[in-house]
Amino acid sequence: MFLRIVAESFARSPRRKLITGAALALGMAVATATLTVALSVGDRLAAEFRSLGANLLVTPKADTLPLEVGGVDYRPVNAGAYLPVDDLPKLKQIFWRNNIVGFTPFLDVPVGGVFDGEAILVRRDGKRSYAPIYGSHSDSLLTSWDKNSGWGLVLIGTWVHHVVKLPDGALFDTGVDITHPWWKIEDGGRWFGEDNAECVVGKKFASHWKIQVGKTISVGTSSSASRLQVTGILSTDGPEDDAIVAPLAVAEKLANQPGKFRKLMVSAVVKPDDAFGRRDPGTFTPAEFDRWYCSAYISSIALQIQQTFLDADVKAIRQVSEGESQILGRISALLWVVTLAALVAAGLAVGATAATTVLERQKEVGLMKALGASKLLVGSFFLGEQLLLAIFGGGLGYAFGVLMARWLSLSVFGVSAPARIILLPVALGLAVFVALAGSLYPLRRAARFDPAPILRGE
Amino acid sequence: MFWRIVGRLFRASRGRLAVALIALASGATVTTALVNLHFDAERKLGAEFRALGPNFLVLPQDSAARTSLSDPQASPLMDESVMDRLAKSQGVGYSAPFLYVVASIYRGQDSHQVVVAGTWLDRAPQLSPWWKIAGGPIVDRNDTSRCLIGRSVAKQLGFAPGSQIELRYDDQKGERRVSLIVAGVVDTGGQEDNQVLASLGTVQNLADAKGRVGLIKIRLTGTLEEFSSRILWLSSELRGYDVRPIPQITQAEGQLLPRIQGLIYAMVALILVLTALCVFASMAALAMERRRDVGLMKAIGGKISRIVAIFLTEAGALGLAGALIGYVAGIFLSRWIGWRAFGVAINARLEVLPLVVALMVGVALAGAFPLRLLGRIRPAEILRGE
Repeated sequence: MFLRIVAESFARSPRRKLITGAALALGMAVATATLTVALSVGDRLAAEFRSLGANLLVTPKADTLPLEVGGVDYRPVNAGAYLPVDDLPKLKQIFWRNNIVGFTPFLDVPVGGVFDGEAILVRRDGKRSYAPIYGSHSDSLLTSWDKNSGWGLVLIGTWVHHVVKLPDGALFDTGVDITHPWWKIEDGGRWFGEDNAECVVGKKFASHWKIQVGKTISVGTSSSASRLQVTGILSTDGPEDDAIVAPLAVAEKLANQPGKFRKLMVSAVVKPDDAFGRRDPGTFTPAEFDRWYCSAYISSIALQIQQTFLDADVKAIRQVSEGESQILGRISALLWVVTLAALVAAGLAVGATAATTVLERQKEVGLMKALGASKLLVGSFFLGEQLLLAIFGGGLGYAFGVLMARWLSLSVFGVSAPARIILLPVALGLAVFVALAGSLYPLRRAARFDPAPILRGE
Repeated sequence: MFWRIVGRLFRASRGRLAVALIALASGATVTTALVNLHFDAERKLGAEFRALGPNFLVLPQDSAARTSLSDPQASPLMDESVMDRLAKSQGVGYSAPFLYVVASIYRGQDSHQVVVAGTWLDRAPQLSPWWKIAGGPIVDRNDTSRCLIGRSVAKQLGFAPGSQIELRYDDQKGERRVSLIVAGVVDTGGQEDNQVLASLGTVQNLADAKGRVGLIKIRLTGTLEEFSSRILWLSSELRGYDVRPIPQITQAEGQLLPRIQGLIYAMVALILVLTALCVFASMAALAMERRRDVGLMKAIGGKISRIVAIFLTEAGALGLAGALIGYVAGIFLSRWIGWRAFGVAINARLEVLPLVVALMVGVALAGAFPLRLLGRIRPAEILRGE
């Protein structure tokens, strides 16, 4: 009987049900879409922030003070400590290995150079010597240069796209391509091949020494010299514009430090620091420490790298990590506030629609009461109807919202947001709550009416 | 007569109208808040990117001819007066000059090579908000007796706040020395950890480069469109100098800002559509209820155009009232959003008011649109109660 009355009501006035149902579905679709996006936006934006480059710096522990200005280290090769390249695959074995999107080792070597038969021997104190020399003499000249005066040119050895073989057999692509996405090779050139005697030169360096793509240059230190073919002009708008960038293996040979590097930049996707993440790990209880260790905070990832590289000093590049944390925090706060506003607006608007449809039906309430139905029974008819609508509307809204979120995320981030099944009960519960809350007040008012005047049509 | 009927209509069905008004007002509130937010978001978010530190550098033009990076003093320098010109520029949030030299730092008889950066010590930490200074910060730009040292310098050489350090620098004109008290240890997670930071004047004296600076770091603020015009303006104002972006920062900003804005834009649009549709549904339901009244009016000789005008006036008035209530409530909502998200209130814009009024009245009238069909109603049927 109950079901028959409800079914009848649906059959009799489909238009009104359609309005409430559509309002509920739309409201829940927006709620689902905004919540889906708000839930995934943190991860997406954290990934976007990787365009800022590395956020962790690994340097040897037993090191002398780097003489570093603008990111280039000017220490001579015989000062300071080094780290072994062979240890690098271990980075992908830490707890948060999947958050490490890339890492690049660097070895900066002060060198002298011979371009086009002219030796440019620039000393550390800025004095320059020119010596026109030809042919194979250049190598011996380079290596015989007084090692105490050092070299004024800088050769940066690094990986561009290097495939690292991980201990589990997997291959991992990394290099400046990933950690320094703003490094660009100007048109007409290409990156050097890692196994070849090739290099690229910074754009200022190239224009000053009039070096073109295809030329061969000689570079050397007191211990060895190399001939490198220039394959491209590098543009970074940073100190690399004034340097030669070559494969790490070339720099290792020039520095006479085989298999070693001096500085490792790691780019990791991290969770924005909150109050818990900023606490000193020394003050944690064991349970808190576990929670911290298993959260992708920059500090916990740094500690895990530190535990892998015992001879290294790992520190967060705070300009990147803190700026990122702060901006991410702001944006997610903003999105949550907007989402909340969306939910409230959807609730109010949908509730108002539900209320209108109930208000329209005071006559039916009067009739039912005249036939002897109790307030409770009348109420449950209407509420049952609304409940049914809410479940249909909520379910439909969820499905629609998933599509909406996918489209939204795809158009903003270029990656679709994963559907979250957890939001289905949320959408349904919200729909039920809004529909019931919207109809409760008009129902109670309708139930108070005397049936007689309503039936008379007054 | 017209207005009396409208007045009567309002009084007769207060309950229903209240419901419709709630829908309209909540729609208008959210619309106001979100449109305010949308207008302000780009500027506010742009300001947030200050957390990333400087995004532009000013260098001497002939730095292209620099061959010896290894020694800062071998690089060309520029005149300190550039700072005065920068101070007058629009959109320059913060700026600080830097002069780098490599000096020897003495600890007893041991000497170490260290990079000494001369800068405005009151300004540089503001430019780079992530700096942490243990001990006292230096607030006097011309403090020539104290300095800050980087974390690694402090650790490796065993200095702490209060220690006295001696810096020596020699060139062809002989050796110059300066003694400084360590005021604080700075932890930046960057190259400053390996440097000694002293006032610009101190380093200029040490390097015998009075009134000269090597590099200026700038935080340029503004929206993406303002950015390009400001860069142009800066480069023309600072003719003879090399104004260049720090691509790491500017590219990240250029990439992230449109994305975040797109997200906010899409969400605002979604919510607006939702609110408009719900308000429309409420108004449509309300309009259908008026069928009886229309039938009656028609039966006693009302012209259909006049009858429709009465109901459209009702709907329009409702829309206007909802918009006004919603606008006021929306001002508070946008303030709250601003405080929650940015810690600064988002100011209400007056130009949002006509927009909200137009939107709400339009939606309310559109909701009353089905009344147009009432022309076809035959009064007899209605009066018979069918």
